[in-house]
Amino acid sequence: MTLKLTVNGQVREVAVPWNTPLLNVLRNDLALNGPKYGCGLGECGACSVLIDGMAARACVLPVSAAVGHAITTLDGLSQNGQLDPVQQAFIDAQAAQCGYCLNGMIMTIRALLNHNAQPSTQQIRAALEHNLCRCGTHVEILQAAQRAVVINAAALQEAPHE
Amino acid sequence: MSKRTLASQEGGCEGLPVQLTNARYGVVIRPPHYRWSGERFESDHLVSVDRASLASLQGQVDVVVVGDFVGVVAESLAVARDAAKQLQTEWQTVLSEPNETTKQTLKNSEKMGSEHRSLRYQESQAEVSAQRVYGWPSRMRWGNHPGWVVADGGDHQLKVWGQTTTPVALQQDLASLTGLGASQIELYSLDQQQISNQATALGRHCGDDAAVDAALMSQALGCPVAVWLDARYTQDVEALGQAQRMSLKAELTDSGEIARYHYRQANSSGEVAAVGLWLSGRATEPAAMPEPIPKTTPEVPTGDSDPAQFSSSVLSPYVFRDQHLSARLQQPGQTPSSATLIGIQQAFARESFLDEVARDSGQDPVSLRLRHLKDARSIELIESVAKRAGWQVPFKKPADSAPLDLLQGRGFAFAQLPDRHQRMEAGVRSAWIADVAVNRVTGDVQLTRLIVGQDDGPEVDTAGLQQTLQERILGEARPLLGQVPGFDEWGDGSDAPERGVAITPSALVNRESPAVTQTKTSSLRPAPSDLLTGAELSPGVAVIANALFDATGIRFRQPPFTAKRVREALKASATEGAAQPRLAKRASGRRWLAAAALTTVAGTAVMAWPWKSTLAPVARPSANLYSAETIERGRLVAAAGDCAACHTAEGGSANVGGRAFETPFGTLYSTNITPDEATGIGQWSYAAFERAMRHGISRDGSHLYPAFPYTAFAKASDADLQALYAYLMAQPAVAAETPTNELSFPFSVRGLMAGWNALYHDPTPFQPDPMQSELYNRGAYLAEGLGHCSACHSPRNVMGAEKSGDAYLAGAFVDGWEAPPLNTLSRAPIPWSETSLYDYLRHGESTLHGVASGPMAPVVEGLAELPEYDVRAIAHYVAAQMQAPTGNSDVAVVEAERRVTNAAVSSPGMEAGERLFEGACAACHMETGVPTFSRASTNLALNTNLHSDHPDNVIQSILGGVHADHVPGIGTMPGFADSFSNTQVADLASYLRARFAPDKAPWQQLEPRINDLRQPHHNNTHSTP
Repeated sequence: MTLKLTVNGQVREVAVPWNTPLLNVLRNDLALNGPKYGCGLGECGACSVLIDGMAARACVLPVSAAVGHAITTLDGLSQNGQLDPVQQAFIDAQAAQCGYCLNGMIMTIRALLNHNAQPSTQQIRAALEHNLCRCGTHVEILQAAQRAVVINAAALQEAPHE
Repeated sequence: MSKRTLASQEGGCEGLPVQLTNARYGVVIRPPHYRWSGERFESDHLVSVDRASLASLQGQVDVVVVGDFVGVVAESLAVARDAAKQLQTEWQTVLSEPNETTKQTLKNSEKMGSEHRSLRYQESQAEVSAQRVYGWPSRMRWGNHPGWVVADGGDHQLKVWGQTTTPVALQQDLASLTGLGASQIELYSLDQQQISNQATALGRHCGDDAAVDAALMSQALGCPVAVWLDARYTQDVEALGQAQRMSLKAELTDSGEIARYHYRQANSSGEVAAVGLWLSGRATEPAAMPEPIPKTTPEVPTGDSDPAQFSSSVLSPYVFRDQHLSARLQQPGQTPSSATLIGIQQAFARESFLDEVARDSGQDPVSLRLRHLKDARSIELIESVAKRAGWQVPFKKPADSAPLDLLQGRGFAFAQLPDRHQRMEAGVRSAWIADVAVNRVTGDVQLTRLIVGQDDGPEVDTAGLQQTLQERILGEARPLLGQVPGFDEWGDGSDAPERGVAITPSALVNRESPAVTQTKTSSLRPAPSDLLTGAELSPGVAVIANALFDATGIRFRQPPFTAKRVREALKASATEGAAQPRLAKRASGRRWLAAAALTTVAGTAVMAWPWKSTLAPVARPSANLYSAETIERGRLVAAAGDCAACHTAEGGSANVGGRAFETPFGTLYSTNITPDEATGIGQWSYAAFERAMRHGISRDGSHLYPAFPYTAFAKASDADLQALYAYLMAQPAVAAETPTNELSFPFSVRGLMAGWNALYHDPTPFQPDPMQSELYNRGAYLAEGLGHCSACHSPRNVMGAEKSGDAYLAGAFVDGWEAPPLNTLSRAPIPWSETSLYDYLRHGESTLHGVASGPMAPVVEGLAELPEYDVRAIAHYVAAQMQAPTGNSDVAVVEAERRVTNAAVSSPGMEAGERLFEGACAACHMETGVPTFSRASTNLALNTNLHSDHPDNVIQSILGGVHADHVPGIGTMPGFADSFSNTQVADLASYLRARFAPDKAPWQQLEPRINDLRQPHHNNTHSTP
């Protein structure tokens, strides 16, 4: 079956069974390797993508559920060659150690900021509660998230989104 | 037809005006072939009628023959129908194919609609041109609702009781028929109010044909004659085909301006006289039609037109550099046409055409019109309406709440009608913007918003207009106030009997008051047609056609836009990029059934001798034996019965069978029900098929096991079973042997089922409850019959038979899943309401209860095929079993919030379960402050399964996950069977119970139950590999 997906602003056609996990389609068929395969059960968050600006765990979502929605992966987060403020913040804070969970961390913070531009530290912790990091970079990740709030606010002032 | 329906008709007086209880009953016999060609009426000629063929009938039966008109009149409708069947008539064939032309015309116009892209402008030097043809049906539909049409005719007077939307035209037909003057003919609706002459015309329906039929028979016999108007008159709708045909052509300049504009109208009158009038030879046949006289009008016509040519005038509010408008002139003696109808037809063609030109040339439809208007008032009116509606192109669809299966669109149309003296300037201008929502699955079209601006005349009753259009053009409004409940009527108002608004409910039909209809205008208005004038309605049809195009990309060039036509057009156009996952057929509940205990069977075997005759094999009926309408009805019946769910093996093709059913008595396999002659049901006659469906006996005479729910299917009506047979026989044949059942003795002896049937099977068809509403009876018919709800939801006795009485729908266990109670025993934390049940059945989710999963998921998937009304009916019926309220009360909402708040904090002392929950579940099941697409939308504190006395469904969901594969809107949940041990699942389930259902006692004995349910055959859901 041929499905039409809107991924990172482009319409892509894929011939896959409708119930293939979205993650497999993104990585295997569309070569978008930003989202990672972690637990495969929606527990760890490494596979997170944005769907219509909301966080989504791509490993438990059948691809058919994403038809008709705008999918954004980490690969498509930068705009006009400029990194997204959240990406920039993670680089600035040097928040990667093994880096496997960072896709999920970045996408989740992006989704949080889409909804709440000025989250408190408590709200950031709650948002990342179900994104698992197992190499112990939690402190740097939280610092990066807080920096993301600042850079994002500055970027918003420069070019208001809406 | 149900016994009740027959009884009410045979009884004679029910629904008939009081003084007409002496009426006799007439049934007409139409020629084998008859049709309206667009210019003349053609039919076979009657050669002879053999009255002797009626000798065997009881009572007095009269045959009325006038020209080619044949009718039989008897003392009851049933006898008259028998007489109509028995009467031998001989016809001289004039037409070879019945209605071939009209069908072809319709098909072509629909084809043009779906292939609009290929009809793009042909570039010819500097100019581009467009040409389109629009049609108007002779009969919009067969009628508003099934009902009596009675005529009482004498030498000096004719009284007719019935339903009509075109009283003037009907009166003219009756005058031509009887030779009486207009003042000697009185028309009444069935509550005996005289029908108002103000009623508007969107065209005629067959109420007029039935009235003429009744009048002919009444006059011939000198007594009142009653005719039953129902979907049988659809044959007149088809035979009469198109009444009007309008061709339009435009040539555009480079700048997109319309330089040349041609409008040509085939007929001066957009009406066709009643069938009976033509057949009796009393219609004034128009002389040979002269060629249309072209009328070149460089400017808008003004007041100097000859009133006699009124109906042949072509009026247009627009100014084009070069325009040619022409219509056939009215013939002397021809039925004078209704100026209103002509105005509506013209506006429909013109406004649809301008919309097409605008969209194909990349212009805003409103701007294009404004370019060609000189009249300041018109421009002002259009601009103000566009502003009020927030008109913009493309229409920004409200994305927030719209369900996936709804297509939305917006359209514009404008009309200006002349005043009584044919002066355009003094006439009424009317600009419309309409929004429609199209259900892409059912084809149902809802007119969701209507903005009408009019520069003169009385205030516009927008709600009334909306309702009228919804009923007449979209044909979907179905209030409960029916004359006769048609519990087995399917669908969408085109081929099946409809439930239109009873304009004038008969005083003798005492039914429940009308409840909510699907339209926004929910109240039953008194004769909405009386409130409307032609000027008001004239852009109404075009505006819907334009909005439909905006929503679907399909152009409909002839009304009405019934769900059936829309659905078929959508289907045809959807073949390209399938954004919608095809609804594949898949797993279902494997329902096993305990078979019989030997001793009891032995006791009854004498009465119910098990050996049934073999029914002779037949050649497979050819695919074209049944009409497309019948096959379509059969498709809906199959969807309601969910045949493919059981008759499709995992990964196999639909209906080929081979799905295994584990029962305590061994393994059963579903059979091949494709029409393959060797391995399927290709050689089954209808009689054999019906016997299997009603009595559980295979064609070869052997008994079927009641895993096949013939106990429920027996309730289906004859018409539905026939349609189902037609549908199955029209499917591709697939050769596939069914595996041999592996049942242990004595259950392997099929004959024993005879005794079981004698004890527990009641093969009587469904009987509607006359004390209940039409909606209830429809729901009961679907739920008890084809839908076989009780097969899973009613507990069974030791013999494997469903219990009834208080135990009906009291909940049961099927294949490792609990089918929860659907009666007052429901354990839902927030009581179910009719609204919640509808949401659950239609969308697979009720936010106050949870999602459809396990064996229920394919049921919801099957229901997606059914029209809105049917799903509502099932919800209504189930709600009645639960004694549930209609909507969700404020109390329920507050209680839901309280439960959610209480469950926000984890309950102490269950750390093992809490860790599992936080790790595996909370990411999707708890609020984290991040907007999440993949989050479960029903809070666990409201989940019915967590509040049940039994943990089965919770365990199943944890082990297998939730996979409502083809129901859009239901999320998916992965299964944890491979990552959690039995102890972990038990810890988690206990934790969930304590936290989210704190008012319920903890579940006991979880681990052994989990171990049982782990057995692979119990897991009905699919784990994604």
